[in-house]
Amino acid sequence: MRLLMVERRGDPSISGAWVAHVGSSNERPGITGTAHLFEHMMFKGTPTIGTKDYKKDLQIIAEQERIRQEMRKEEALMRAQWRKGLIDDPSKLENKTPRWRELNKQFQELIRQQREILVKNEFDRIYTSQGASGMNAFTSQDMTAYFITVPANKLELWMWMESERLLHPVFREFYAERDVVYEERRLRTESTPLGKFAEQFASMVWQAHPYHWPVIGWPSDVASISKEQADEFYATYYAPQNITAILVGDFNADQAYAMAEKYFGRIPRGSREAPEVITLEPPQEAEKRMYAEADTNPQVDIVWHSVAFQHKDSYPLQVLAQVLNGRTGRLYKGLVLKRQVATSAQAGQDSSKWAGLFEIEAEVREGHSPEELEKAIYEEIEQLKAKEVPPEELQKVKNNFAAAEYRKLANNTAIMFQLIHYDGLGDWREINEGAAKYQAVTAADIQRVARKYLTRENRAVAIYTRKESAKQEKDNK
Amino acid sequence: MNFRFIPLLTAALLASATAFVDAASIPRRPEKLHFPPLSFEPPRAADYRVQLKSGPVAYVISDRELPLVNLVILVRVGDYLVPEGKEGLAGLTGWLLTKGGSQSKTAEELEERLAYLAAQLNSSIGDTQGSVTLNLLSKDLDEGMAILREILSAPRFQEDKLALRKQQVFQSLKERNDSSASIESRERSFLAYGEDFFVNRHVTAASLESITRADLVAFHRDWFHPSNFIVAVNGDFDREKMIAKLEQLFASWPFEGKTAPAVPANPKMAAPGAYLVDKDVNQGRVSILLPGIKRDDPDYIPSQVMNHILGGGGFTSRIMNRVRSDEGLAYSAGTSLPGGVYYPGTFTGYFQTKSRTVAYATSIVLEEMKRIASEPVSIGELDTAKRSFIDTFPRAFSTKTQVAAALAQEEFTGRYKTDPDWFKNYRSRFEAVTQADVLRVAKRLLQPGQVRILVVGQKAEILKGHPDHPVTLQSLAGGKLTDLPLRDPLTMKPIVKQ
Repeated sequence: MRLLMVERRGDPSISGAWVAHVGSSNERPGITGTAHLFEHMMFKGTPTIGTKDYKKDLQIIAEQERIRQEMRKEEALMRAQWRKGLIDDPSKLENKTPRWRELNKQFQELIRQQREILVKNEFDRIYTSQGASGMNAFTSQDMTAYFITVPANKLELWMWMESERLLHPVFREFYAERDVVYEERRLRTESTPLGKFAEQFASMVWQAHPYHWPVIGWPSDVASISKEQADEFYATYYAPQNITAILVGDFNADQAYAMAEKYFGRIPRGSREAPEVITLEPPQEAEKRMYAEADTNPQVDIVWHSVAFQHKDSYPLQVLAQVLNGRTGRLYKGLVLKRQVATSAQAGQDSSKWAGLFEIEAEVREGHSPEELEKAIYEEIEQLKAKEVPPEELQKVKNNFAAAEYRKLANNTAIMFQLIHYDGLGDWREINEGAAKYQAVTAADIQRVARKYLTRENRAVAIYTRKESAKQEKDNK
Repeated sequence: MNFRFIPLLTAALLASATAFVDAASIPRRPEKLHFPPLSFEPPRAADYRVQLKSGPVAYVISDRELPLVNLVILVRVGDYLVPEGKEGLAGLTGWLLTKGGSQSKTAEELEERLAYLAAQLNSSIGDTQGSVTLNLLSKDLDEGMAILREILSAPRFQEDKLALRKQQVFQSLKERNDSSASIESRERSFLAYGEDFFVNRHVTAASLESITRADLVAFHRDWFHPSNFIVAVNGDFDREKMIAKLEQLFASWPFEGKTAPAVPANPKMAAPGAYLVDKDVNQGRVSILLPGIKRDDPDYIPSQVMNHILGGGGFTSRIMNRVRSDEGLAYSAGTSLPGGVYYPGTFTGYFQTKSRTVAYATSIVLEEMKRIASEPVSIGELDTAKRSFIDTFPRAFSTKTQVAAALAQEEFTGRYKTDPDWFKNYRSRFEAVTQADVLRVAKRLLQPGQVRILVVGQKAEILKGHPDHPVTLQSLAGGKLTDLPLRDPLTMKPIVKQ
């Protein structure tokens, strides 16, 4: 396990985090959503936290697992019925087999019994009653991170809590938590104007790479993940050699190091190393396009396959994005002010761990078509390919990168999140070393990466127009 | 431009399960840990407060950690001062103040210069407050302050930028009914404060169309005067020199402003009942509303403890435990009870759940509201909530920017005058809250039968309810169910189905 520490005075608090080098890209079809489900499960407690009777708790969990095993057999039957067209949706209550319903009754009874000995959300309550704040976690394609801020005198509490849940987590309420994940999916993906479409577009962009599936998982998989699969996943990816802990704030690094040895040193090394993601996205041979009708003003999203974190071209691509961005950037000047085909437009280079994307999205100004806007975006890009960015314009962008080096150090939490991000992607040193790489980018570099990556066959395009029914509703009144 | 590398980090590799690790002394439960005392004193206004001769009160905090200066000017202005029929004027003025050019520079010249300096100059005007913020490298401070002076006293409000912004706002109006979340938040405000209250006077296509540059100029000249400003500034400067620069910034203002009248304080909540907006999404969004409280109410502090236990305290709260952890009915569930500054806020219970369990989850939240208003909370719950408020209090002052902003807000909203020791006494006031206090405020605020339940989602599915949980939305609201039509996004008038 690695420990990163930043001593910082003036704020009597410590922001603490640990990042597990596992995300949805470490999954495979059938268990998509597992990394994210884990993020939820890690708050369920330990043998001493979260239950009044650990022995009984374990018995109930084992019994629940046995019944679930039986239910999964029934679920396989329902999938078989679905393949033959005998039922429309195996997840619907009315399509469940009688045996499944009977088993579910037994399962609900076990949940009731477990509830009697549960100490609800005790992990959270301990932290809250000790003045901790901002406890949360996130899962991405590349990493899973858990973070919190504690008062400066409670460093040992953080050590105790985090090492305990890593050393002996108990995944109680495993199956109820999946319902929460479904609500999270409805909230973020299914009930938002663009969520479903953005999910489909991302899947379309990645042909072979595991970035192809959503972090929250495909609905069929989330329902089917067994505790056994989860345990195996945990043993592989939550071993200490796959985790980095981070502390930023008011503490003494020598003391914190010693304390960390005592608490986290208890966790045995995992018996196997986490496997790498092997699949390389094959070069895209032809442009991909998606047309979606949604509850939205018309807009255009374009992504090009680019490069991964710390790739040497990622720096000129980041600078290129900033040449395009902002109210003095080329997209705003060219598309919003001059041609007046957009109301807003932004670009970004997203350097993930295993691969990356360059993106431009823009909202269409009324009276113009998305295709017109799309064409105008390409014309801006062609200018970048044809002619080097002038020195003054490049210097403006670099000045902003330089100032950002100071702004990023404004508080403990901000520094912690950067370390989570960089270490999660593979190298925390980026926080110190990135700045010089941006300053070294030349106009020729920018021209070169624009020519290399921003090509027709390398892109995917999503065109959004307003959904017809929504339009009619308005016209009819 | 020069920048320095900041040697940030100590990195260490921890040994794994080594024999010599002293793990034996690790207790089984965290209650057995002993922590050193932590002393914290909140900032005192007197240490930073300056009454400038040129008008404003300023909070000035020198802090040399980074070569940056952060300057915020709070302005007594807001939507409540906008004339009838000109809805949107405050927002446009706030946007264009820093993006429409200044006396000596066109909008384009100004934006280019600021971008080259990597300076961030922004402005906005909300319901009851405007703000202008400048964040820049300290080496550029003088140039930045000169620009700020021009922007504040002689903004150009360039015609073409106004036309552009009006077009952008017009187009954004069309997205008003696109997400269930924005429908919910708008209708919640209508139910909570009434159609006529100023927070519910929305910009329309017609009001937007009517706004001219002359309106912006007049609105600006009425309110952007040093006597309507409060200043917060922190960062890399010498305090006395900064005070002199601020005096200069506001000296000999070219026009006389008006004194802002009091913020209206007459909201009117809709009648109790259930209100339903039909929107085709597979998750219903629910808000349960009751009249709230002002922050200077004697019950304010106990009300915050009560709210924390009921639904404000995240995973420690009763509603999160039941709706999310027990039942898996929602990802996010809780309550909020903000103390209003000028008029009482609103109690809101909220969650989002699949259509068929909307009624059931609502019944659980109502049950918990009744329970906390009828039996005392446990000592453990009370203690957790109080410790959370008391021990997280220093977080409100974790950066000098936050300290300056917090003190300036106290000044702006008037509590500095009415309760100057608010920060000093904050923790002891929470410490004093008892179980009886919590019960008393819950009884006062959470009156059953008074709730307004707002639901946005698929009407037909929601009204069906769930076969395992025979409860209906109608029964929960005393049988009173009102359909709320969507509003025309351009006029905000209800859309009447033919």
